[in-house]
Amino acid sequence: MTEMKQASSTAKQRITFERHYKGATVADVWELWTTKEGIEEWWGPDGFSVKVHELDLRVGGRLDYAMTATELPQVEFMKKAGMSVTTQHRGTFKEVEPQSRLAFVFPMDFVPGLAEPYSVETTVEMFPTADGVRLVVTIDPMHDAHWTDMAVQGWEMELGRLERSLEKRLAQGS
Amino acid sequence: MHADVFQTLADPTRRRIVEALLGGEHAVNDIVERVSIHQSGVSRHLRILHDAGFVDVRPDGAKRLYSLRAAPFQELDEWVTRYRELWEARLDKLGEALERRQKARKERN
Repeated sequence: MTEMKQASSTAKQRITFERHYKGATVADVWELWTTKEGIEEWWGPDGFSVKVHELDLRVGGRLDYAMTATELPQVEFMKKAGMSVTTQHRGTFKEVEPQSRLAFVFPMDFVPGLAEPYSVETTVEMFPTADGVRLVVTIDPMHDAHWTDMAVQGWEMELGRLERSLEKRLAQGS
Repeated sequence: MHADVFQTLADPTRRRIVEALLGGEHAVNDIVERVSIHQSGVSRHLRILHDAGFVDVRPDGAKRLYSLRAAPFQELDEWVTRYRELWEARLDKLGEALERRQKARKERN
């Protein structure tokens, strides 16, 4: 039992994205993450626009925005999924260290139909480099107890194990 | 995306049962031993997992053997892939926004 618990906690991994933006400044990166105009410029996926309603840049402050499908395929996708064309998102800042580190929490907003939504914590770190900015975005979908130790990257590992044991069973000949 | 996949796994006992089954098929007694939960609870959760398409069951003499099915895990995998793609696209757009700023600054100077 103890052994299994340890195994599952090592399987608990966050998703990390890392980028290097050549020629960029941390001032620009910070502004794009933390101002109404900045966020509206890039946050929405293709075919969606974002309007920030409230942005109170301090620990515990709100970050509320609406995302609207603006192009036909996206509008149809939202309708098919039974979702409204505009979705409201209400987040909270958890860490605010200008031009260095930002963290915020949003209820999981892209899984329709969950009775009890769980939260996702996103941490953004920016480091100036010789010729630009290194950005590290860490997403922790297991922030809330509702999510599973085996989620996301953990799943990929488990999927590998599952596949192997399924193959083994097939090989044993059923 | 099926919200059911997430809701099925939202329960910690069911996750432990799924973990116990990762190594291969097991009878209820084996699962009870592995997850240290009363048999009636394990049976109830196995029924839920079965109804949600997570496990298969086959008779083996007097025993019933449970094993995992791949389909819901593939669905989870697809969801994770889409989520990653969303973020990759988002960070591409951030890069474009940064370039626009650099360009605007150069033009001003």
